[in-house]
Amino acid sequence: MSSRNGTPLLRFTDVHTYYGALHVLKGVSYEINEGEIVSLLGGNASGKSTTLKTVLGLVRPTEGTVTYRGEPIHALRTSEIVRRGIAPVPEGRRVFPKMTVLENLEMGRYTRRHEPGWDEELDRVFGLFPVLRERRHQLAGTMSGGEQQMLAIGRALMTRPALLCMDEPSMGLSPGYVEQVFDIIKTINEQGTTIFVVEQNVNMALSIAHRGYVLQMGEVVLTGTAQELLENPLIQKAYLGTA
Amino acid sequence: MTFTDVLIQQIVNGLALGMMYSLLALGFTMVYGIIELINFAHFSVFMSGTFVGLFVLHLLGFTGDSTGLWGLALPATLLLVFAVTMTATGLLGVLIERICLRPVRGISGTAPMITTIGVAFIIINVVLMIWGPQTKPFPKIIPDRRWTIGQAEVSLVQILLGVAGLVLMLALNYLVKRTALGKAMRATAQDMDAAKMMGVDVDRVIVLTFFLGSALAGAGSLFFGLYYGFTAFYIGYQTGLRAFTSAVLGGIGNIPGAVAGGLIIGLVQSLGGQLLEVKWTDVIIFSILIIVMVFRPTGLFGLQTPQKA
Amino acid sequence: MDSSTSDARVGTGVTARWHTLPVLRRRQILAGAGLAVALAFPFITGVNAGHVDAGANAFTYVLLALGLNIVVGFAGLLDLGYAAFFAIGAYTYGAAASSQVKLPWSEVWTPLLWLGQVSRVQVEGGRDLVQLQFSFWGMLVAGALVCAAFGVLFGAPTLRLRGDYLAIVTLGFGEIVPVVARNWDWLTNGAQGLGGIRTPKLLGFDFGFSPYPYYFLALGLAAAAIFMSFRLQESRVGRAWMSIREDELAAGAMGVNHVHYKLLAFAMGAAIGGLGGVFFVAKLTTATPEMFQFPVSVMILVMVVLGGMGSVRGVVLAALILSFLQSVILQELTLWVNALGRTIGSAWLAEVQLITSLELIFGLILVLMMLFRREGLFPAMRRVTALSRDEQAALPSRGTTVQLSWAEGAPPAAASRPLLEIEGLTKRFGGVAAADGIDLRVARGELLSVIGPNGSGKTTLFNLITGLVARDAGIIRLDGEAISGLPPHEIVARGVGRTFQTIRLFSSLSVLENLLVGEHARLRAGALGAIFRPPRVRAEEREAVERALEVLGLFGNRLLPRLDHPASGLSYANRRRTEIARALMTRPRLLLLDEPTAGMNPAETLELMDLVKALRGLGITIILIEHKLDVVMDVSDRVVVLDHGVKIAEGKPVQVRNDEKVIEAYLGRRRRAA
Repeated sequence: MSSRNGTPLLRFTDVHTYYGALHVLKGVSYEINEGEIVSLLGGNASGKSTTLKTVLGLVRPTEGTVTYRGEPIHALRTSEIVRRGIAPVPEGRRVFPKMTVLENLEMGRYTRRHEPGWDEELDRVFGLFPVLRERRHQLAGTMSGGEQQMLAIGRALMTRPALLCMDEPSMGLSPGYVEQVFDIIKTINEQGTTIFVVEQNVNMALSIAHRGYVLQMGEVVLTGTAQELLENPLIQKAYLGTA
Repeated sequence: MTFTDVLIQQIVNGLALGMMYSLLALGFTMVYGIIELINFAHFSVFMSGTFVGLFVLHLLGFTGDSTGLWGLALPATLLLVFAVTMTATGLLGVLIERICLRPVRGISGTAPMITTIGVAFIIINVVLMIWGPQTKPFPKIIPDRRWTIGQAEVSLVQILLGVAGLVLMLALNYLVKRTALGKAMRATAQDMDAAKMMGVDVDRVIVLTFFLGSALAGAGSLFFGLYYGFTAFYIGYQTGLRAFTSAVLGGIGNIPGAVAGGLIIGLVQSLGGQLLEVKWTDVIIFSILIIVMVFRPTGLFGLQTPQKA
Repeated sequence: MDSSTSDARVGTGVTARWHTLPVLRRRQILAGAGLAVALAFPFITGVNAGHVDAGANAFTYVLLALGLNIVVGFAGLLDLGYAAFFAIGAYTYGAAASSQVKLPWSEVWTPLLWLGQVSRVQVEGGRDLVQLQFSFWGMLVAGALVCAAFGVLFGAPTLRLRGDYLAIVTLGFGEIVPVVARNWDWLTNGAQGLGGIRTPKLLGFDFGFSPYPYYFLALGLAAAAIFMSFRLQESRVGRAWMSIREDELAAGAMGVNHVHYKLLAFAMGAAIGGLGGVFFVAKLTTATPEMFQFPVSVMILVMVVLGGMGSVRGVVLAALILSFLQSVILQELTLWVNALGRTIGSAWLAEVQLITSLELIFGLILVLMMLFRREGLFPAMRRVTALSRDEQAALPSRGTTVQLSWAEGAPPAAASRPLLEIEGLTKRFGGVAAADGIDLRVARGELLSVIGPNGSGKTTLFNLITGLVARDAGIIRLDGEAISGLPPHEIVARGVGRTFQTIRLFSSLSVLENLLVGEHARLRAGALGAIFRPPRVRAEEREAVERALEVLGLFGNRLLPRLDHPASGLSYANRRRTEIARALMTRPRLLLLDEPTAGMNPAETLELMDLVKALRGLGITIILIEHKLDVVMDVSDRVVVLDHGVKIAEGKPVQVRNDEKVIEAYLGRRRRAA
């Protein structure tokens, strides 16, 4: 699905990032168009998490730019990036353990807390995740991994973001939950949210994504539509060594 | 007086004292909860609060010989003194955070704590230079009325301060539990990075926490002055260590725990002073501190485990 | 020392020549000069008894600061209650050498009566009493020992605590001691303090009240402490302390027993504090609780912070500066400022006593140092290596043979008992199983690779084997002996070495020092050996360095030229290599490498893997966690695949690579729905 009006929603251009002496991202470029689900794939130490953290402003690139709707965001603070409509679902969920489900969702809406719409967004989230409605007064830290993942996604949706950034949503989840989560991601996209998913689980991710990029050792080695990538034998090589 | 009467008296005294420790412990525990810093300077801020209060009262014309106020004048004066003192100490706390602590924030190890020790010494000695080493009498603007419960006495001072303390704690509770800002504070304390990802301006939250905590210390400082009737440059240290023990006992970072801890230590102090000799209460309190830190670092109620670095 | 190359580079002139001297020589010259000045000081014209007394006090502070430096600077344990040991030493001597303590006479005291340590006092109408008059010199030793015991007592509760919590507990003890002193009247005479404490006597000469003999005694004590500090710093003990300071976890993985060394640091620091206490009180002939309160602890801490934590010369200089500031400089400055005040008509200036601002200065020093110069004014000089530039360059760059003098060589081909046996190993974190009933056997001399997607439990496996993490169930046997449940340093001693996924080098230590810590478990020298350096210890250190050079030589010219560089300054690949070298120093039979080639480019990866293969050829059994699967396929004898803590496949590389379950684990299961 190519972009309608030309300007990608998010564009990552030739980004180099270092962790101390380690060259983690070596000239990474990709773009995400409105309405798409784009997946960034790769094994360990591929740099995919660093990419997402760069988008969110948690890590600064040494070179290169990140633009959102044409505006450079790579020098902005995280809170400012989030205010512009990019919502994160962090690696490992990172829900606030000693706050209730409702309070977590409130925190999700923090940047729009003065605007009307709380009830609608809450309804939408509860519609997607009925289990959260049931447990809305429960402390987040006492929920299972899968439930926390639901909460993390729901929390990110509370501002009705334009772009949802998800960092390894399948990590640490049992296979049943993984399927559920990816089904929901698809639904959210159908409701109009652009989604950027960083994942290790190639098959799951490509089953819902429109396009994908494959990172290896900090460089993009493959790209294409989901179909193209799934059929590409080089994918296996990228993950498993010589095929 | 029978033994029970003495006991009740000491319990009353202990609770009143405990209020002061709770207020002081609250500020301390809030800061620790957010940035995991043991802030020695907190107790010097507390001490300086008494001098601010003293200054304000002198401006209003009260001296050490003043007698109690009546009618509307009392709550009005109290309100004014509390407001000014709490604002002043709050701002002092913010100043300390900006200048001395923000540059070392995030540095692992004990550098931040050492910095707070230095700040504490600076504040103590500045006060010493300005006001001198002698103890200063605090105007007794609250009249010395007492009521009896059985054979025990409760004074007006204790009642007023108890009420004031309760009001402040309820206000803090409301702020932390129900307002967006309070939730942002809690979120930051639980997971700073995730809070950033929610759009929280973490720097501002930290500044605010310092302001609130130091303002509460200011309130506690007035408790000291009004209750004991004097102040001096050295009160921060001893009272501070006791408040610190309260915070640790209640679970460092745990707000209701700080209140409970303060009351317990207040009771320990007054009951201990009664049952043993006063001179040994310090040893008891420090022993409690050590025992809690070694065997139950999370405190009686706390959930935040200080990780091995 | 090859002077020709150095001269050509740095030119001539005194400063240049100074820097060509090895650190040890420079230090000896400075120490000699300092000693000469200190000895001559009392005899310089213009120096009166007051100055000499100030000098004696200054040396006492040097002593105390060096003691604290061991705890805070070397071992990294922030002690905020150090004055407690000062107090304990003081009161120990005070009680033993004044008429405070009254004990009833009994025959038990007779031997001491003969030795002149006690005397018998007749009391009218009552029992005779014992009067204690122990010799100062004996009490120096006794005081130090008593304090060492208290050091262990106060330090023991802090062993598991984090940095600032540890500090608070020490502060607590530091508070309790003066309170006890103030209240235990029988021993300490309470707030009034002890008086009439006997002055030292040496061969009939009584030190009396003249400051001169005390000056020289203090100088002697301080000099001894300086000597001891330097010796400790560059010994196995000092390295153990510094490794704990830098990274306690990694130190344990290198065989350092953190309990032992932390208590040792506390004990030695306390003992020195005790020496200071005994001396100070003998000079003053009184001891009161006020002398030992929190501001004293802070003052000594300020000296250490100002000078540079861990820097012996820094701490000495800072102690001297601050001591003279307190005793002399502020007074002189006050006179000058007062005169100025009178001249310009400022009443405040004319009256001000600058000495009262001493604590303000301390506070400012602490804050400014932490904000702007955390390493101190005089950070530790880089330490000595035994190697000249020629020697470093002379070793071959990349030999074709990989040799290690201690390696056993390739094991016999016949099947023998597996080196490592794991049965039913289980570990849960929260509700998630990081290891779920793992069974594994590793044969001697084998190279086994462990692979699996993120979060599959590979590093947890290493942590379980090395004892960093306690298992929930299962058993681990090394060469038949159960090692599960042993603390990390004992597992290292049995021949298990490892590297870490995130690289845990001791950042401010040099490459060589990092390696020498690796050999900690194989060396023997203790504190006494470190201080006195008998030939056995000297030989041990020499051999340790030789072995380090041998290991570094395996990496060609990459690390050898950087022997003295702090580990923090190395390139990423070199840091990985250093960590592997350090692990080799533990002389492992079993080497665990956790993603050793992460961050390396293909050429570097190849080079490292050649080395790993060669190490296997020397008989070292290796378990490798890797993500570069082509590397794994090339180098491994066998491969084990983990997923969610469970072993899902095992076998030869070719088998595993084509295993459906493995592919699914990495790529994820195909979705059921369309």
